[in-house]
Amino acid sequence: MPTAIRTSRKRNGRMARLAEVLPGPAMILPAVVALGIFQFLPLVVAVVNSFRSFNPFNQSPTGWVGLANYDEIFSDPGFQLAFVNTIAYIVIMLAATIPLALFLAVLLDQRLPGSTFARGAIVAALAASEAVSALIWNQLYDPRGGMFNAILAAVGLPEQPFLIGDTQSLLSIAAMSVWKDVGLPMLIFLAGLQAIPRELYEAAALDGAGPWRTFRNVTLPLLRPSLVVALFMMTITATRIFTPILILTQGGPNGATSNLAYYSYRLNFEFMAPGAASASVVCMLLVIVVITIAQTWLARGPKGV
Amino acid sequence: MSRPTRTDDASAGLTAANSGMNRRRFLAGTAALAAGGMLMGRPLPAAAQEAPAKGAAARAASSYKLDLGGYAGPELTSQPITLKFMRQEFPPHVNAVLEEAYKEFSAAYPNITIQEEKVPYGDLQKKMQIYVGSGAAPDVMMGRTDFIEAYHAGNIALPLQDYFLDEFLHDILDNQFKAASAKGNFYGAPWETYFTMMYFNRDIFKKAGVPTPPEVTDVNAGWTAEEFIAALDELTQKLRAQGDSTTWALSAATHGNGGPGANYTQVESLWVRSQGDPNADKGSSAYKTFLGVSEDGLQATGYLDTPEAVKGMANYQQLFTKKLAPPTAVPNQFVSGVGAIHFTGLNQASRLFQQKPAFEWGASPFPRGRIAFNCNSSDCPIVWSKTPYPAEAAALVAYLCNDANRIRFYKTWGSMPVRKSLIAAIPEFGNQQLFQLSAAAAASGQGAPRSVGWFDYFNAINPVVRDIALGGDPESQLKQAATRIDGLLRKYR
Repeated sequence: MPTAIRTSRKRNGRMARLAEVLPGPAMILPAVVALGIFQFLPLVVAVVNSFRSFNPFNQSPTGWVGLANYDEIFSDPGFQLAFVNTIAYIVIMLAATIPLALFLAVLLDQRLPGSTFARGAIVAALAASEAVSALIWNQLYDPRGGMFNAILAAVGLPEQPFLIGDTQSLLSIAAMSVWKDVGLPMLIFLAGLQAIPRELYEAAALDGAGPWRTFRNVTLPLLRPSLVVALFMMTITATRIFTPILILTQGGPNGATSNLAYYSYRLNFEFMAPGAASASVVCMLLVIVVITIAQTWLARGPKGV
Repeated sequence: MSRPTRTDDASAGLTAANSGMNRRRFLAGTAALAAGGMLMGRPLPAAAQEAPAKGAAARAASSYKLDLGGYAGPELTSQPITLKFMRQEFPPHVNAVLEEAYKEFSAAYPNITIQEEKVPYGDLQKKMQIYVGSGAAPDVMMGRTDFIEAYHAGNIALPLQDYFLDEFLHDILDNQFKAASAKGNFYGAPWETYFTMMYFNRDIFKKAGVPTPPEVTDVNAGWTAEEFIAALDELTQKLRAQGDSTTWALSAATHGNGGPGANYTQVESLWVRSQGDPNADKGSSAYKTFLGVSEDGLQATGYLDTPEAVKGMANYQQLFTKKLAPPTAVPNQFVSGVGAIHFTGLNQASRLFQQKPAFEWGASPFPRGRIAFNCNSSDCPIVWSKTPYPAEAAALVAYLCNDANRIRFYKTWGSMPVRKSLIAAIPEFGNQQLFQLSAAAAASGQGAPRSVGWFDYFNAINPVVRDIALGGDPESQLKQAATRIDGLLRKYR
């Protein structure tokens, strides 16, 4: 075969392979670039900044300080409290939101009267502005004239300092966040429930399984993927609680409601310390990573899936 | 601090006025003298050194196409430019006053476009910080006199003394001028000021049978802190005895986010620093309490946590422990007639006039401690140090601060003027008790503690004040706060 023909065929083959291989990466390239710029670059910048010092006036980097920013925040009681509170928010949010969302999803899946309205109401809370929701809950929690204390007074219980008590305030923020965010895991569970084949329920009924046994042995195992997603989403949501803290308590009283997100915000925007704020953000990211890895491991299926 | 640019030309001004010399010629003359004295008398930063001599500029004053007020810089460019101005959002009728002024400015200088960015008041300083960090800040930004030290140390603001006539600078209330200056430079033209006064609902006091606070024009003739607390306690007890459980003796603060810890500068620091004494021995805790921070502005321990400061905060705490004031933010309590007393500035009182509330009200000085104390925090437009149009930006500031624009603004917004001639020009300040009291408070006001890190200090102390209001021990809380603030100020060393 003449060399020219061989070369031409080779070239055509390469072009064909390229035509086969290129469209895929080309199509995902915009998403990769966007993710790189808006997700991963800030992350890298935060990590880098956590080892730098900054000019407090114009926030330009002035040098490398090793672990000094980490030393600074670890020795700050405010950070320690914010760290503990972050974990507390995650635990409370997961403990309250996941069972509640599952309960609501199962209820709505029954298509009982009023289901459409209930679904709309729950999703509306999810869609509502966080700031507006916080302002509404601020009125509900008002020590005098707020609805919650009015209810307590009506049943003869003492007035509660919901947002100003050392012990109540974190729970009050968490309660608002549960109300606001329960819609997301509920929708995830609802989608998971609707994907479970009805035949399995019919088979369970034929085998004489009651509602609880059906739920435990059919519904729950088949909802495992949804559960993992819901846990992951709610962990991130709980770690990032910010607006209610800013609006309802500004981290008080005595730092009782501050978390790592709010602590980092204050360091950067109120105390002109971007290096320490970045170190705090890195700690927050580590918390999310460790917890989600643990969740994934704990919620893995029998085959490790 | 001595005034950096103002020559002692008050008598010269008088002579000039008597001899019938026209204002422009007089200003040009004094400006030329001032510029000479100024340039000999003190070092100027780089940006200021690049500014043209004021004398030359003043000679050109007559060529300005518009009344640029106290502006003494060169004639403005004829090239098309855009000046960016970041300021707080005002209600629409106040915004309209400024927009009208821009139109007038643009009519005279059609090549200069003014582009505004309005941001919520509480976000101004954060936004400025972000803009400055980005290297692309607006040419003019609404700053605050509390932060002047930081604007100077961070090279954020352009020194403006070379762009303003000395007559204009002399006209600013002394304490305002001092607050707007740092290390011999004048950085921001005080715009309006807020002196906290005590407004009271006469009807509530009458209903409870408790005497109203003294309606005086002397800041030293009001209630003491102890008298104030005792009166509020009596008022509360009598109201509750009458079955009134909704009216509070003191309405919730409406500064910032509202409630306790809303704004240390203008509300809570008054309780603390009024326990100090500027005339006490410099090593005494009374003097240090008054200062609020060390002379170099970098240490709060020994200044914020003195016995006098603890006493001031303990007084403040009683407002909440005795249930004289609500422990959280409650909007519009005073205006709604369910708060007997409200602490606020003149502009809110002016709005009360406009709203015609369904009750009689009056005004009294803020309760005094060892001294009568008021803090003169003022908004002040600053010119970004790296603006490509320093003269035009300074001219815009001067124009917005000219007599006509300022009087129109004060009359619409109701706030307290910061220039002596404007106070004299508004008749109410001479014949109405509320305005006379406000003028007296303005004249005797003091600046916020002078610290390059006042932003950190302010942000650190506000939540502590709230925690004290909610029952925290004032002494330990102030000590912790002082230590925390020392740590925050370390980065400025």
